[in-house]
Amino acid sequence: MMTTINAFLAAKGIYLLTLILLSLGAAGIIVCNNYMKKLICMNVMQVAVIFFFLCFGQKTGGTIPVALSEVVKASEYINPLPHGLMLTAIVVSLGTTGVGLSLLFRITEKYGTIEEDDLIRRENKTKTGEKE
Amino acid sequence: MTIIMLIVVITVPFIAFDVLPAIGDPESPPNSHVSDYYIEHAIDECNSPNMVTAVIVDYRAFDTMFETTVMFLAGISVVLIMANKPRRRIPSPGDFKRTRNTGGTPIYQTINKDVMISTIEPLILIYAMYVLFHGEVSLGGGFQAGALIGMTYLLDVMAVKRDKPIMNLTKFMSAAIAGLGPFIYALTGIICFIGGGLYLQYNKLPFNIHEAELHSIGITAVEIGVTIGVAGTIITILNALRERISFDDDND
Amino acid sequence: MKENIPVLIILLPLCSALLCLLLTGLHKRLGRALVVLATAGSLVLSVIQLRTVITEGTIHYAVGGYEPPFGIELVIDSLNALIIVMISIIGFLTVLFAENFGDDRPVVKGSANAILALLITGLLGMTSTGDMFNLYVFLEITSLSAYCLIAMGGSKGVVSAYRYMLVGTIAATFYLLGIGILYSATGTLNMGDLSAILNKGGYDDVMLVSMSFLIAAFGIKMALFPFHGWQPSAYTHAEPGTRPLITGVMGKIPALAMFRYFYCIYGTDYIYVKYLLILLGVFSVFGMLYGSLMAMGQSDIRKILAYSSVAQIGYISLGFAIGTPVALAGSFLHMIGHAFMKGGLFFCTGAIRFKYGTVNIDDFGRIYKKMPLTCGLLVVAALSMIGIPPTAGFFSKWYLALGAAGRHEWIYIAVLVISSLLNAVYFFKVIEKVFIQQDKGLDDKWSKGELELPLTIILPVVVCFIAILGIGIFNVKLFDILMLTLEGVGL
Repeated sequence: MMTTINAFLAAKGIYLLTLILLSLGAAGIIVCNNYMKKLICMNVMQVAVIFFFLCFGQKTGGTIPVALSEVVKASEYINPLPHGLMLTAIVVSLGTTGVGLSLLFRITEKYGTIEEDDLIRRENKTKTGEKE
Repeated sequence: MTIIMLIVVITVPFIAFDVLPAIGDPESPPNSHVSDYYIEHAIDECNSPNMVTAVIVDYRAFDTMFETTVMFLAGISVVLIMANKPRRRIPSPGDFKRTRNTGGTPIYQTINKDVMISTIEPLILIYAMYVLFHGEVSLGGGFQAGALIGMTYLLDVMAVKRDKPIMNLTKFMSAAIAGLGPFIYALTGIICFIGGGLYLQYNKLPFNIHEAELHSIGITAVEIGVTIGVAGTIITILNALRERISFDDDND
Repeated sequence: MKENIPVLIILLPLCSALLCLLLTGLHKRLGRALVVLATAGSLVLSVIQLRTVITEGTIHYAVGGYEPPFGIELVIDSLNALIIVMISIIGFLTVLFAENFGDDRPVVKGSANAILALLITGLLGMTSTGDMFNLYVFLEITSLSAYCLIAMGGSKGVVSAYRYMLVGTIAATFYLLGIGILYSATGTLNMGDLSAILNKGGYDDVMLVSMSFLIAAFGIKMALFPFHGWQPSAYTHAEPGTRPLITGVMGKIPALAMFRYFYCIYGTDYIYVKYLLILLGVFSVFGMLYGSLMAMGQSDIRKILAYSSVAQIGYISLGFAIGTPVALAGSFLHMIGHAFMKGGLFFCTGAIRFKYGTVNIDDFGRIYKKMPLTCGLLVVAALSMIGIPPTAGFFSKWYLALGAAGRHEWIYIAVLVISSLLNAVYFFKVIEKVFIQQDKGLDDKWSKGELELPLTIILPVVVCFIAILGIGIFNVKLFDILMLTLEGVGL
């Protein structure tokens, strides 16, 4: 029993952690009432997926993918592809967060709150005065 | 309760169906299908010992071009979203400064910022250039260099005693510069057409030198574009926050 | 130069967007002119590309000269080429149309045009790419520019954009998770290579888990029924000038990507396919009924059209759920037709708002006397939505019903008919207001010149009018072009 669990954790344990992180982020977006917290949870979720991808780049016995000598053997370096992909994903998540923060800025200025139920109440109140 | 349910819903399929490879396994599909090619051919095909750089700006350069575009897009989105300001005013930057100054002497004012920043700024800029031009040889690259340059500008703006930063960019100009960076990237790809190549095929650049050198030129040009784009975007976001126009968009 | 057309179609709007702000700084109108020229250029090129694809078969374009599993590849088959033409046309018309809305500060005008061009770039890229991760990047470009364009529609738009952003980021994360699983099991990111590896067999579990994430991701992006929560308010409050593109095209391209994964990459040989098809079928049936019922209760024309979009996306995914080539062709015919119908209806509402400043259908009394062209399009598009021959809507529904009958799915046909009847109820309500109700005597905000509206509004209206009738009349030709790709795909 113990050996099975140990073997499982050694081979797949890191996936379990990233998936729990991902679920926490997803749950936060659903449960939290505050828009700022939702944004933070969104970031947690993106980071979890970045970790998830980086797991595939790991190779036992490999080092960082910068060639040390002229002759290169594939087994000596870890997989560079996930790192390249995740660099893109990080930049994209940065852009999304920036846009999200500026949207929050505008919401705070207009409605004076970023709590979801407050916001819905105020939105319904201002329905009449608005023409598109 | 919801959290536990979500953890179960998301995690169980992976364990139950056993779809993921064991970590660190050299024989697993991600480590054996295409990655070996990248590792073994990065030096002779792209002339770039840093394989991550080879992947992002040579093998998958098309992705990175749009990644830089995403930065530009985020910059102008912030400008656009921040351009409209509702009636209910928040404290303007002027008021903000006054309240900050009357609130006692903060600890950071004991440091002479003018001296500190003017010594640090050139160092950061030199470091940024190093990171930019050595990106293909060692760790580093355009994004990092762009972030460093953007930070230099930020430090410059933060200097209290100096009235104006060295380069006083408006948000319009900085956004235009941020667009110029990805355009240099796209242009590098278009120049390859002249040599009869496909898009971003660096070894068909119309210069008369060795193929590996051409890859170096292509990668450097692209990295410069990325640097300009990222630095421009950071300055744009900063400026978008600094110069907001009073305007209520619900009026019409 | 001819072999570079697939990438040039994407590059032209991109470069125009990048240079737009700079040129706007030089002269106020220069940036906009560049965007108009670039979109027109990519429209011309896309038509040339369509002709090439029809005569010479699928185009494979390896970016950077690296062979497919190692580099990024663009794949254009007849299906893609047709959708690209559709995006280019509506994109070009929307760029013309957007001129009349928004404020005139150079910063805002320049950035808004740049973002519109980037939205077109993202949509074109999503359609033509043959690489999973590249698709993600284009998806993000599309969504980021859409968030911004929705946020520009006033303070309610900001809140809808924020909600869309949260949901849309969940979708993007799920997509990344889905391709992560596929990458971990196969080690490739190229769609063609992936398809070859998956069809060797033994990947059933991987396909099930990844497909569930992909359905959730694309479902959110295309506003399929249980994931549609963000859609009505976002479509309602988006920036008026860009609304035709957002409503008409943006929801369709994720649907195309979903089709790519479902049929072109996964194939139909794995054991879980029938459960996934039933799942899609249930989603679309409920979506069709729910969207039509909700649309009946609204009085704001934008809300009516937004809810009817939920129903219409249901039609498209219904075709995927049926899965025979005929039904798939019906689905894509509906995709193209609906882009022109919904785009056209939003051109109409935009035009009416431009001239009279109202969006409430109770104010539309006898508007047909003053705006005959616009109302002509309104009527044709509404009839096409209901599905009356010879408009585009009838033939796509006809092919969908044919496909359903071929697989003896009688429930689907019944729901198709019921949903069309419900469509008829709320669209005849609009038509009744336009033709029969008392004139409210609204004041005209634009009365210069001979024409009823500026030329930049009349041109989109006329083109959409022609397109809806044209797709209906030449549906067999389009069907043949679609069948070049769809033959042999599906069940």
